[in-house]
Amino acid sequence: MKLARSLHTRAAKTNALVYTPPTPPPARPGPLSGTRVAVKDNICTRDMPTTCSSEMLRDFTSPFDATVVSLLRAAGAQIVGKANCDEFGMGSLNVHSIHGPVLNPWVPRDEHEHAPRSAGGSSGGSAAAVAAGLCDVALGTDTGGSVRLPAAYCGVVGLKPSYGLLSRWGVVSYSDSLDCVGVLARSVADVHKVFATLNHHDPRDPTSLPPSIRQRARSAPARGRDPSDLRGLTIGIPQEYFPAELPALPLRPLLRALRARGAALVPVSLPSTRFALSAYYVIASAEAGSSLGRFDGVRYGKHVPPPPGADRAKASQVYAHSRTKGFGREVRKRVLLGTYALSADAFDNYFLQAQRVRRLIKADFDRVFLKPNPLRGSPSRSDEREEEGKVDVLLHPSAMRTAPPLPAPSPATHLDAYVQDTLTTPASLAGLPALSVPAGLADGWPVGVSVVGQWGDEEGVLGVGRVVEAVVGM
Amino acid sequence: MRLSCLHRRLQFGRLFSTVTGSHGDRRWPGWEVVVGLEVHAQIKSRSKLFSSKLWTSDPSEPPNTSVSAYDAAFPGTLPRLNPKSVDLVLRTAIALHSEIQRRSAFDRKHYFYADLPAGYQITQHYAPIATGGHLDLAAGRSVRIKQIQIEQDTGKSTYDARRRVSLIDLNRAGTGLMEIVSEPDMRSPEEAGTYLRTLQALLRSVGSSDGNMEQGSLRCDVNVSVNKPGEPLGTRCEIKNLNSVKFMQVAIACEVFRQIELLEKGEAVQQETRGFDEAAARTFSLRSKEDAPDYRYMPDPNLPPLLLEQAYIDRIRSTMPELPDATRARLICQGLTSRDADVLMSVDAGREVGFDGQLGEGAVALTHDLLGQLTARNLTFKENPISTGQLGDLIDLVQKGLLTGTSGKTLLRYMLDHRTQEMPSQLARDMSLLALPADADNGTSELEGWCREAMDALPSETAAARQGNRNVVNKLVGRVMKISRGRANALKAKEVIESMLRA
Repeated sequence: MKLARSLHTRAAKTNALVYTPPTPPPARPGPLSGTRVAVKDNICTRDMPTTCSSEMLRDFTSPFDATVVSLLRAAGAQIVGKANCDEFGMGSLNVHSIHGPVLNPWVPRDEHEHAPRSAGGSSGGSAAAVAAGLCDVALGTDTGGSVRLPAAYCGVVGLKPSYGLLSRWGVVSYSDSLDCVGVLARSVADVHKVFATLNHHDPRDPTSLPPSIRQRARSAPARGRDPSDLRGLTIGIPQEYFPAELPALPLRPLLRALRARGAALVPVSLPSTRFALSAYYVIASAEAGSSLGRFDGVRYGKHVPPPPGADRAKASQVYAHSRTKGFGREVRKRVLLGTYALSADAFDNYFLQAQRVRRLIKADFDRVFLKPNPLRGSPSRSDEREEEGKVDVLLHPSAMRTAPPLPAPSPATHLDAYVQDTLTTPASLAGLPALSVPAGLADGWPVGVSVVGQWGDEEGVLGVGRVVEAVVGM
Repeated sequence: MRLSCLHRRLQFGRLFSTVTGSHGDRRWPGWEVVVGLEVHAQIKSRSKLFSSKLWTSDPSEPPNTSVSAYDAAFPGTLPRLNPKSVDLVLRTAIALHSEIQRRSAFDRKHYFYADLPAGYQITQHYAPIATGGHLDLAAGRSVRIKQIQIEQDTGKSTYDARRRVSLIDLNRAGTGLMEIVSEPDMRSPEEAGTYLRTLQALLRSVGSSDGNMEQGSLRCDVNVSVNKPGEPLGTRCEIKNLNSVKFMQVAIACEVFRQIELLEKGEAVQQETRGFDEAAARTFSLRSKEDAPDYRYMPDPNLPPLLLEQAYIDRIRSTMPELPDATRARLICQGLTSRDADVLMSVDAGREVGFDGQLGEGAVALTHDLLGQLTARNLTFKENPISTGQLGDLIDLVQKGLLTGTSGKTLLRYMLDHRTQEMPSQLARDMSLLALPADADNGTSELEGWCREAMDALPSETAAARQGNRNVVNKLVGRVMKISRGRANALKAKEVIESMLRA
């Protein structure tokens, strides 16, 4: 009883869940029976609101379940509630939300460090709910790091799977070519179990890859990893992911431990990384401006009638009132930026240029991985010489720092919130699986390390994740 | 502008002309007219383009009853391409001799409008499914096709002026469209009309679209410019949303007059988008080139490129139905006159009503009558209440001489009015419409009775006929037909009257 009350207090304190059903829906028996799952509030549920943390959808309940939600229900999972997030998934600190910011539930040993900190974003509610024990697993979405960043800040495991594996039907679009449903949990094993449940082709999602390509990605069997014997595993350390600004993070002991167990650590270079952040913001904003065009306040969502005497000559003039009131500051900023990037004068310099950078980033990754990319035609078996310097997975810090304090500085004067995405956007642009695993503490707060693999190599990534988990836990 | 258009219409007697080709046009001597068409044809697939929701072409369906969450752009919905639509577009492309692109792609065209729920329309801006091609018109003329692209239709918005509200119906939203863009190869309003009708027949024959302009399943925008012979093409104006062949032709003619008038005054034609006011017979400016919206085209990130296997294209090609030109040629080969072939081909909107190859007196004529009657009743051939069995029986009656052509028409009208299931032979008996066998004695006597009655009723005509005025005989025959309610055989009646006159 006391425990329950303290949990309740913690839940209220973190502001992680924005809706919990008065009576939890009955769960059917299945492989996930007894698993409590929180669902990010931009993933549709027919029996709970889906607000996307936006004034625009404050009272919106979807007429259908997202495919990932249906799969969870079918597997016996219990949906315990909807998780707070940045509005439409746009943000890195989970402060752009009509439900208020999410507080990081981490309790540092040093009492002096108890000033409130951010849970990260945009899936801050999902990460905080897992960290606070409000659920066992949470679904998030990751467009440029929105699962990995809060997972790292809150000290939990977060997977952004390969683009095209988990269905996006029922996931409210932010940037269609980048959005991925992600899974957060306290252990790699739990993430793995739920990922496996959701990893199915969905004909309702045109970007969901067909079974044939999934099969091709699986054809190279993952080596079962004994954490004490890592011989034959090559881990790449991308130099661009350790910029000068990066404070001292406790990664050296982890790397030493991995090497001591037989893993080969090789430095690699991904030279296009430095363009990733700009390319990401152009593409994500352009697609956001397009996807969010549907929120006009006519068929659903907030409707603000034009004031008397207002110009109603064009539909856009009528919609502008609803859209101005319905969207928060950060969303408005990105919609405007994206609209500009697609305008006839800017299209070549911004959108097309960003697409070129995106191709360079993909090529960078394909160059360093041992496994061929199953999406790029038929794999030709590389010979021994070509394998030299190539790696199974990449390892790098998930974030540039530990959880930032709240309240966050105004983003108008501070670019820090965007710079946090530097390390996570390349894998998003390339559509690669990336897993953030807790890797110790810095200043008493959690630090995450990211394992990034070739497209479709979730098994490899999760396998190395388990090793990291084991090594860090020792 | 409006007055001058009407003035010229009066001056030249009509807006329609049969003058074509390079000889110049009496309506605008010294000017050449250049016309290109963008035709939007609804794809005749049961499903919409990107949603599994059933689509019905019936415009009488209550508003907003055939709308899926995707059609209404609910958050979280995604498009799924309906492969049947692609099949039908490919058939069209093959029929138009277009080059099918093995790789095409979908783009978003952004604008805010009440009947566009997503804020963008999915179209094929950068990489259309087919390019090139041509449509052959009669008289050796041919119009080149620029490209064919697949896109979504919008919903419908209507403004209720009384209540001052806009009403939105999303039934049509998301329906598949083919946009067929021609090169500017037409040289008169009439040629544009011929192109549109020929295209309509072709779409119907391959089954890719109903091509019904009245019901909106075929709509067109025209580009019009004028120039002096030997000079470069003039500045073109686009006239949007023309919804009948007739109005399209009138709109082009009016636009030609407007442009010529400007040029003759020494003014320039501004490139712009114009609408057409049917009641006033004039075009009016919708927006200038400067006001053209920036549609912010973007490759659709949800839809992967459409990749077509050659084998798939070949399969569509091998299962193509017969095209109108081939049908017509075959029917004429089978012995029909070109007029009869046209009648049969116009029956089911360009799809031929199977001709069994048996030439029969009056069969096609009756079909023609049926079409006329259906049109008068605003019915399509599909809604025709007369079964093939009934029509066959009727044609047999006429061919065997048991029913005169006139009685046949009467019976046809009766059957359409009463929607009866009875066979015509039974109905003809019930209604005493059966023609009298010309050789039967009692028949002859009945015919003679009618002839006598006719001659008695028209004494002065009878007198004139006796003096050798042969034209008056026809009037007497007409009276016989009237008295007999069409049952008499007109030729026989004439013979009887003539012999009675000689007597």
